[in-house]
Amino acid sequence: MSAERWKDDEALLESIRKGVPGAADELLRLYQGKIFNLAMSILKNESDAEEAAQDVFMTVIRKADTFQGNSAFYSWIYRICVNTCLMRLRGKRRNETVSIEEFMPVFTDEGMHASPMDDWSKEVERDALNEELGRMIRKYTEELSEKYRVVFVLSDVEGLSNEETARILGLTVPAIKSRLHRARLYLREQLSRYLREGKAG
Amino acid sequence: MICKELAYMLADYFNGSMDARLREELDDHLSRCEPCAAFTKTYQAVADRTHSLRRHIEYEIPPEVSKRLEAFIHAAALKYPEKVREYRDQVERDRREKVADLVRAATAGKLSSATALLVESHCAACPECGGYLAALRETGTTQAGDPPEGIRSHLIALMQTLPPGEEFFLA
Repeated sequence: MSAERWKDDEALLESIRKGVPGAADELLRLYQGKIFNLAMSILKNESDAEEAAQDVFMTVIRKADTFQGNSAFYSWIYRICVNTCLMRLRGKRRNETVSIEEFMPVFTDEGMHASPMDDWSKEVERDALNEELGRMIRKYTEELSEKYRVVFVLSDVEGLSNEETARILGLTVPAIKSRLHRARLYLREQLSRYLREGKAG
Repeated sequence: MICKELAYMLADYFNGSMDARLREELDDHLSRCEPCAAFTKTYQAVADRTHSLRRHIEYEIPPEVSKRLEAFIHAAALKYPEKVREYRDQVERDRREKVADLVRAATAGKLSSATALLVESHCAACPECGGYLAALRETGTTQAGDPPEGIRSHLIALMQTLPPGEEFFLA
């Protein structure tokens, strides 16, 4: 984040603290797209994401006084958003147990690959497929159960480190790694099928 | 190492937490096993490309959601500074009343012994407060209004040194 952006955020927060007219509108203009997108990635549901976004901006306005300038504003509002979404998920959490086998390719009894593997890693480098693949990744991410989805969204979609993700979710780093691994295996498996079928058709 | 083991260990392989000997074994398996090599490359492609591929495919906020959000926050933001002001005003009023009580009690000689001691020792060192209270006592006014700002701030500081819950009046 550039120094200028940071200064702008500081000034904006100051205006919110003072209740300057238009400050809240500016806050929304800058961040509502980002916040809605992140909330959708975690909650997968438009009305839930809308309510979460309301909560997030209310919290920002209410806590503008307590924001410590030692972290970037973006990471602050981001964390508020993740926590708000997690609170909402907690209310409707179901017992989800998924065996790792469901994310894995098929192995023989000896533990060897049961079928030949297609190497499509070069295909996902092609710019022409960017949008299509982006959409497919989004779709497959939605299919993941919450436990894996939240970790995958924070780590691989948003690009946080395992340590940061662990801190936000209150989990250990090994737990993050293991969930992220399964999520990637699932995405890999689904993308494999998609690209294979795409080619056949 | 067999293919299935390799698939389980890939995450450690990429995030650098795998020990050197195991890594060697894994590399060796990769160089000899075509399906595992393809599996590993595609796994890495998912890990490496997700961030950049998803960046352009965001969930767009629908215009009506955006409008509702604006209306909601607008109302909230307008109310917020009002509430803070109300709260600050209330705190200020409470303080003024307390100081006025203290001054009245001091003038009438009705301070608790601990408070009286505090006030006395402060007045001995502070001509401003000492003079003010002495003048009030002399004229016998018990209906003193607000003391001047400087004196009020001294008396507020003084009251804050009282233990919590300590009453400064004599019962």
